[in-house]
Amino acid sequence: MNHDIVIQTFGLTRTYGEAEAKVTALSGVDLAIKAGEFTAIVGPSGSGKTTLLHLIGGLDRPSAGHIELGGTNIAEMSGTQLSDLRRDQIGFIFQAYNLIPVLSARENVEYVMLLQGMDPAERKRRTDLMLQLVGLEGLGERRPAHLSGGQQQRVAVARAMASSPAIIFADEPTANLDSKTGVALLDLMKRLNEDEGVTFVFSTHDEKIMDIARRLVYLHDGVIERDERR
Amino acid sequence: MLNLKLAFRNLFRNGRRTLLTCLLIGFSLSALIIVDGIILGMSKLLVESATHLMSGEAQVHRRGYLDSFDVDLYIADPGALQATLERNPAVAGYSMRVMSGGMVSSPYNVAAAMILGLDAGQEKSVSRISESLVDGEYLSGMDTELIIGSDLADLLEVKLGDRIVLTLSQVDGGGISQELFRLSGISRFGIRELDSTTAFINLDRARGMMGMDTAVHEIAIRYAEGEDSANRNHPLLAELSNSEYEALGWKDFNASIGTMLETIDLVTIVVGMILFLLASFGVINTMFMSIYERIYEFGVIKAIGTRPTDLIKLVLCESFLIAVGSVICGTLLGGAVSYYFSVSGVILGEFEVSGIAFHNNIYSVLEPAQFIEFPIYVILLTVIASLYPAAFAAKIVPSEALQKSL
Repeated sequence: MNHDIVIQTFGLTRTYGEAEAKVTALSGVDLAIKAGEFTAIVGPSGSGKTTLLHLIGGLDRPSAGHIELGGTNIAEMSGTQLSDLRRDQIGFIFQAYNLIPVLSARENVEYVMLLQGMDPAERKRRTDLMLQLVGLEGLGERRPAHLSGGQQQRVAVARAMASSPAIIFADEPTANLDSKTGVALLDLMKRLNEDEGVTFVFSTHDEKIMDIARRLVYLHDGVIERDERR
Repeated sequence: MLNLKLAFRNLFRNGRRTLLTCLLIGFSLSALIIVDGIILGMSKLLVESATHLMSGEAQVHRRGYLDSFDVDLYIADPGALQATLERNPAVAGYSMRVMSGGMVSSPYNVAAAMILGLDAGQEKSVSRISESLVDGEYLSGMDTELIIGSDLADLLEVKLGDRIVLTLSQVDGGGISQELFRLSGISRFGIRELDSTTAFINLDRARGMMGMDTAVHEIAIRYAEGEDSANRNHPLLAELSNSEYEALGWKDFNASIGTMLETIDLVTIVVGMILFLLASFGVINTMFMSIYERIYEFGVIKAIGTRPTDLIKLVLCESFLIAVGSVICGTLLGGAVSYYFSVSGVILGEFEVSGIAFHNNIYSVLEPAQFIEFPIYVILLTVIASLYPAAFAAKIVPSEALQKSL
């Protein structure tokens, strides 16, 4: 495996249901994501974007094929091993309701580091840094209900980055945001990608993301139709 | 600590549901505390009624007497037993009795009765015969004194001062003894058997009629400490028993009451189990609703690296906090009501159960177990009831949870 490659799939297949009701969401997908890439997986609804993202993010298990992250086939990991993998090496940003509503923005960012058992002083330092990176200094004590949709997504970005993951997956991160807020969020992620070297993989319909992505993976009916690098 | 913080805050997300759950469990606990207090009070009253009314808390007889009530099975020389009772600090009082079946005749009617010869002074320390008088005077030692039950007085159509003849058999194959008495008192225990078939005369007169000299048929004993009465193996009983005499606690000579108490204890356990089973279903339902409501959130929490065991801990923490809140509510409410009943009593009126007369209110008994053990059971049960929903939460597949509508 190439050392630049963060995650790689081999013949990744995911089916749902059985017999006549069997649906193939993903079929024999081979994909390699390199460190520092800013990749968008695009395609129409039902093309398998979210399924692919969930599989390579360790949120689901493939029906066939395997996924290597750091040389380990994550498809064979136990539930707890997968949890630890997601905690330490993967960041997630979902389209909405990303945050734990009863925790403040700061506590949400700290959450994963708490799970990691990070030293309190280091945790505080990183939390401050992350909130600063996403432009939310001074808003750390607010709970999600008291933050705008864009601010909530920024907290989600800060949380995803807080544990220094190898890769961040973002599933339609701008879907619930207005255009202006969506652009601002994308700018932030692009900047983090360029300045901090954070690897991002998006699943999206959003043309704005497609415009700025350096790699576009087109999915259609569960198969990679096209893979463009810019 | 993180789980506890999250759990605590989660409880306030749907405050009404949390409150209702706490009230459900709390009411169950308070109901158990109240019911247990009343049942303990009833048991205490039952024991007191069974033992203090007539029988005493322990009795000494000649072996075999209780099986046949044969008047020839008497304690010929109660002196040694009396000395033991006098020096034993566990004894509050004792009373020697002579007993025989006989005939009670008035100018108008005749009835069979159990005739008891009592030492008027000793008897006051053991039974409530003196308190049961509804007319006339208690025994004072005069030869012609006779007390009979109110129903028997009605049957004989007699009033105070009327002449009554008692006929009974003498011991050891002696003849029939018949003597004249004047009705000096009418008793009423509220127990038909006692009120319709019992006559009390002075001990010496009874001994004289039956030819018993200093002998007695029964020595009834009252303990200094009420708790001793429940001890079937009290050292005093062993000390008083030998090859000729047997001393028994009330649970042995009044086994039906002992069985009744055991049944009451069982009923308490069953009632408690039903209450807590219902409360457990409430907890399971609440926790499942809470999890279903947050299933997307659980998906996110799992997606970002929370282990299944941490989710179990979170759900258990929430149920633990609900249990603690419930215990506080239930203990305060149950304690307050139980305390009220312990002071003012539960009004029962007058009734008879299995030959035991209840004249008084039932006063709840407050025990430390109600406020320590019961709450611990509630907390444990609530947490145990939450294991199922907790396991469900732990098994949530993030990719499926994230597909749920927001």
